[in-house]
Amino acid sequence: MSNPILSASGLVKTFRSGDRRIEVLRGVDLEIAPGESISIRGESGSGKSTLLHLLAGLDVPDAGALAWEGVADTGAKRRAAFLGIVFQSFYLIPELDVLQNVLMARRILGAPGAADRARAADLLKRVGLAERMEHLPAQLSGGERQRVAVARALMNSPRLILADEPTGNLDEQTGAAVIELLLGLCRETGTTLVLVTHNAEHAAKCARRLLLHNGRFA
Amino acid sequence: MPWYLYLAFKQLFPTGRRFPFFTVISAVSVALGVALLIVVLGVMGGFGYQIREMITDTEGEIQIKAQGSISHYREAVKKIETVPGVAGATPYAAGVLMVQYQNKPAFPQMRGLDLGSINRVVSLDRFVRLGSLDALDDDSVILSGGLADALGVRLGAVVDIYTPLMLSRKDSEVILPRTAKVVGILEIGHQQLDSSTLYCTLRMAQDLYGLNEDVHGINVRVKPGEKEDAVVSRINEILPAEVRAFSWRDSFADFLWVLQLEKNMMMFVLLFVVLVAAFLTMSLLLVLVLKKTREIGVLGALGASRRQIALCFCLQGVGVGVVGTGAGLALGFTVLHFRNDLVRAITHVTGGQELLARFYQFSELPEHLENRDLALIVVAALVLSTLAGIIPAILASRLKPVEALRSE
Ligand SMILES: Nc1ncnc2c1ncn2[C@@H]1O[C@H](COP(=O)(O)OP(=O)(O)OP(=O)(O)O)[C@@H](O)[C@H]1O
Ligand SMILES: [Mg+2]
Repeated sequence: MSNPILSASGLVKTFRSGDRRIEVLRGVDLEIAPGESISIRGESGSGKSTLLHLLAGLDVPDAGALAWEGVADTGAKRRAAFLGIVFQSFYLIPELDVLQNVLMARRILGAPGAADRARAADLLKRVGLAERMEHLPAQLSGGERQRVAVARALMNSPRLILADEPTGNLDEQTGAAVIELLLGLCRETGTTLVLVTHNAEHAAKCARRLLLHNGRFA
Repeated sequence: MPWYLYLAFKQLFPTGRRFPFFTVISAVSVALGVALLIVVLGVMGGFGYQIREMITDTEGEIQIKAQGSISHYREAVKKIETVPGVAGATPYAAGVLMVQYQNKPAFPQMRGLDLGSINRVVSLDRFVRLGSLDALDDDSVILSGGLADALGVRLGAVVDIYTPLMLSRKDSEVILPRTAKVVGILEIGHQQLDSSTLYCTLRMAQDLYGLNEDVHGINVRVKPGEKEDAVVSRINEILPAEVRAFSWRDSFADFLWVLQLEKNMMMFVLLFVVLVAAFLTMSLLLVLVLKKTREIGVLGALGASRRQIALCFCLQGVGVGVVGTGAGLALGFTVLHFRNDLVRAITHVTGGQELLARFYQFSELPEHLENRDLALIVVAALVLSTLAGIIPAILASRLKPVEALRSE
């Protein structure tokens, strides 16, 4: 496997609450090739979200090494262009309309231009929200909001998308539609996808399927 | 526009919401504090300003006095008028008299005016309510409005004037009262001056006080733009040691000092109002930060730096400060503009318009806001609001994205 998008080795994460130590991750190794789609399953509390946060550079491991495209820098500046994240809850900014929420990802890199606006509008069209661009998040349904979050994650043409149970708050049908959309867009744009999910059906749609158990990949 | 500025603006003024709760409440509280400061300091500054106006309108900016009386005043006036910065000088005589009209006595302050030079120093004409200053001669007087009312004198009446010299004469010679025709009624707008003053020619005043060719003092008008204190010291250089010049500021130093002290105290106390407003802004911003914890996490996940997140919230404090100060300035100046209507409305309900005038010496509420005070108010409001934004901003930037995302 040459030039991995992401490589992690020996990731260890332990939480301390009072005098109890919770060893969540006990040495996770992961190498992701460009364009791959990977699903991660595991029972509740097995450390899937924790792992995703480490991979996203949002949290630091107690031990182990992480590199994006061979570079160990996982700081905020690099993250904005390299990574798109979709969460279980949609976390849109309530004061901004749908278009501006998508553009927010671009704004953090620098002031958006006309081309960026067009791209945001195009992405919204592709997630089926062309008519709702001027609506506020509060005026959308849960599935629609998650589609906005998907568009936002894709806005900066990231190399990698990390999705943490993106269907967790959606009904079965809507959830399936969002997963189809996410997988379709990633395949189309050649974006690498890591999908954390409880749903075996959704996981099965990914090319590589991993199971987190006892702090390691089984 | 950097994203944090954009988002700060959008959070203060969200699209499609006419009443952004946080912005309105906190901006209103800042605005009330600013308006209060402007109104109170404006009116208090007005008292000082009004007193200055009153003194300089009636006596010029500089008064020259001696231990007793000033002799050879004509040369003195001529010499003073050659001093650079002096626009004009006029001698005067002053003292207490007794005036009687139809058996009603009064004891006014007398001011003897040199008609030849008075106009170079003060334009009394504009205060003449009835009659005219031109009609004044050595056998006539002008009375202040309050004195005329007290005596029941109308224009053209003849009053008897008794000089204090009557008391000092030890021999048996009786000095008869002098009769004078009232040719004018004068009102300056200051309670104390208007209540009991009699204006006459310098000649008459000199006769009444037995001054012969002496005067009690000289009033000096300073050219516009000249520094009063500089002119005072220049005049003192050419005057003999027993005759001294004082600026109006020196003459009323105690009063002005008390006024300044009161103003500073008021400013100090009222700044707490703005401080409380800043605390309100801060607590509302803190609530906002807590409410937005997960969005802050998302911003972090999207690649926002801590510094930028801090700026985003700090700018909201600044925004509240700017909007609140702007509204406060508008409100404050509006109230100042309509202050007399407000006072009239209040005294109409509670009574006591007369009392107010007597107590404060002015018939109208004055107003004068110094630029220094205005700048201080604006800067204080902006600085406090910015500080109010800093603590929530630090709290927001301290949130680790993971913890922010985990919070429920
Ligand atoms: N900040 C923390 N302090 C203490 N314990 C933590 C912390 N964060 C996570 N944990 C613990 O780590 C374990 C893994 O949590 P994590 O959220 O990664 O699980 P998960 O696999 O995503 O579960 P789920 O499927 O329910 O989302 C849990 O037992 C959790 O209690
Ligand atoms: Mg989880």
